[in-house]
Amino acid sequence: MTEFSPTTAFRLVRRLAAIGQDKASLYLLICDTAAIQAVQADIAAEVEVQLGVRLQAFAAEEVRPDKLEDVFTRDGGSPVTLIALHRWIAELVRALDRNIVLLTGTGAVLLLANHKAAEQTLRAAPNLRSRLTDILTISPDEAFRGVPA
Amino acid sequence: METDSKPGAVAFDRRQVYRPFLERLNPIGSQGLLANGLIVAPEHDPRDAGQPPIHVAFANTAELTRGSQMALVGGIGSGKTTELRLTEKVLNRHSDAVNVLVDLADYTDLNEISTGAILASAGMRLYSRVRLRLKKAGTELPEAVKAANRTLRELAFGKTNWVRQPPEPYDYEPDYEESYVPVKVPGVMKLRFPALRREVAEILDQFVRIASPLLDDEAQITLLVDGLDRLIKPELFREFAEQDLQALKGTKVSVIIVAPLLLWYDKSRFLQDYFDLVKHIPAAAADPQHSDFLRQILERRGARDLIDGAEITTIAKYSGGVLRDLLTLARSSAEYAYRDDEDRISRRHVNAAIKQLGNRYLVGLGNTHKRLLRRLSDDGGFPIENSTAKELLVNRQVLEYFSGGRESFVVHPALAKVLPKPA
Repeated sequence: MTEFSPTTAFRLVRRLAAIGQDKASLYLLICDTAAIQAVQADIAAEVEVQLGVRLQAFAAEEVRPDKLEDVFTRDGGSPVTLIALHRWIAELVRALDRNIVLLTGTGAVLLLANHKAAEQTLRAAPNLRSRLTDILTISPDEAFRGVPA
Repeated sequence: METDSKPGAVAFDRRQVYRPFLERLNPIGSQGLLANGLIVAPEHDPRDAGQPPIHVAFANTAELTRGSQMALVGGIGSGKTTELRLTEKVLNRHSDAVNVLVDLADYTDLNEISTGAILASAGMRLYSRVRLRLKKAGTELPEAVKAANRTLRELAFGKTNWVRQPPEPYDYEPDYEESYVPVKVPGVMKLRFPALRREVAEILDQFVRIASPLLDDEAQITLLVDGLDRLIKPELFREFAEQDLQALKGTKVSVIIVAPLLLWYDKSRFLQDYFDLVKHIPAAAADPQHSDFLRQILERRGARDLIDGAEITTIAKYSGGVLRDLLTLARSSAEYAYRDDEDRISRRHVNAAIKQLGNRYLVGLGNTHKRLLRRLSDDGGFPIENSTAKELLVNRQVLEYFSGGRESFVVHPALAKVLPKPA
């Protein structure tokens, strides 16, 4: 897998706080399959502590490609949405790509994927790739040592 | 954050250095750009310096020929939505202009989109405009227009009808009458465009009823439709053109629609044959010796306060002339500088941003893709009819340029920088 800048949940959320949590941003976060759950928990905790809001998180399997508006229409909902891609789901990623404007209205959208799903997403979703604020590799906080801030 | 702890000292907050710059660079939150004066409008058509800019050409055509249909093509991130917004702004110079700008994904699921959806979305938006306009004029909204809107919504979103279940016929009913079954006899003439589907024709009826108060006043109505380029496959777009857009012909409602880039290279020349005016946005000239456009875009957003001229030139060069990549590079450079606790963006930060962008384009490339990219870099050969070549073009790993009356293809410079050399 091509190399991308490393980060942690703490640094990622600090970044969201710096630009303003209501500002539109879209991140692809790459981590090992085994770490997805831990990373998601870290992000949820940091979002709560640093931003004072609850993370809206979904497993990719829960998101219906024909009902993306249920996830991304934020009428008073959380400004930070996370979708965890434990595996490649072509139909969902294509739906995200075609309906990309739903993801880029307001707030932060975090796509958390394992290496394979991330690679296939970048290959199959050119509109999404073009609009990504950044692609980062992310690890659980306790495993992250010695990487410069 | 750095602060000076001396009593009375002014605290220095580096966030305040970068935050306004980053906000002006957000490549995905572009809604307020026009209002904030951040858009640098092109001075001429990107393919012909002797022609007016695309948004002016579109606006002129819509103003002079009501009912004209125009298409805009360009790669991802090339500035198509910006051109639509600029066109809308120019069209607003006339008080009777009614412009409806829609991104279809805001209204309908682009996975399941069916013909009639453009007309329905535009009709619903137009209804709001008609209602507002009549309210301002102190005129009551005609009942026929309200009814048309109700019907249009039913056609768009569906409805549930309760119907009486017919009784089961007996097998040997004495009064049974023989019924007729339709058998189609084909004619000899092949229609240039397929006949309008029943549901499209019904939606058109409602659309015209909604538009009638404006059309009766000779208003200049223009639909600006964004988002269909994301269908990518030309045949899907073509289906809409042959139904929704064909339906609008003769209604005096002008249309400007964003079409998939691949149609520009389609041998059938459908775009050129179908539309009254087609404009293509190639990647912008990235070499500052040829154009100052990219540099101006960054400077308008305050780049001079944080980046030296040489670095601005480097960012412009490695963006390849893709406007969204230009903003992404500047933004990433700023974030690297902030992370390093530095007050200005240096060459090191720009280089890191270029590498990051290049890696985005590198991910997922197979050997066939890489072979084509190397061939393009080595001898300029690029077989545009090849499906892998088309994929590279759509994904912006290869960029199309137009200069001196000639089209050319180039590997995205950020990708070229990280593309591994063959073993």
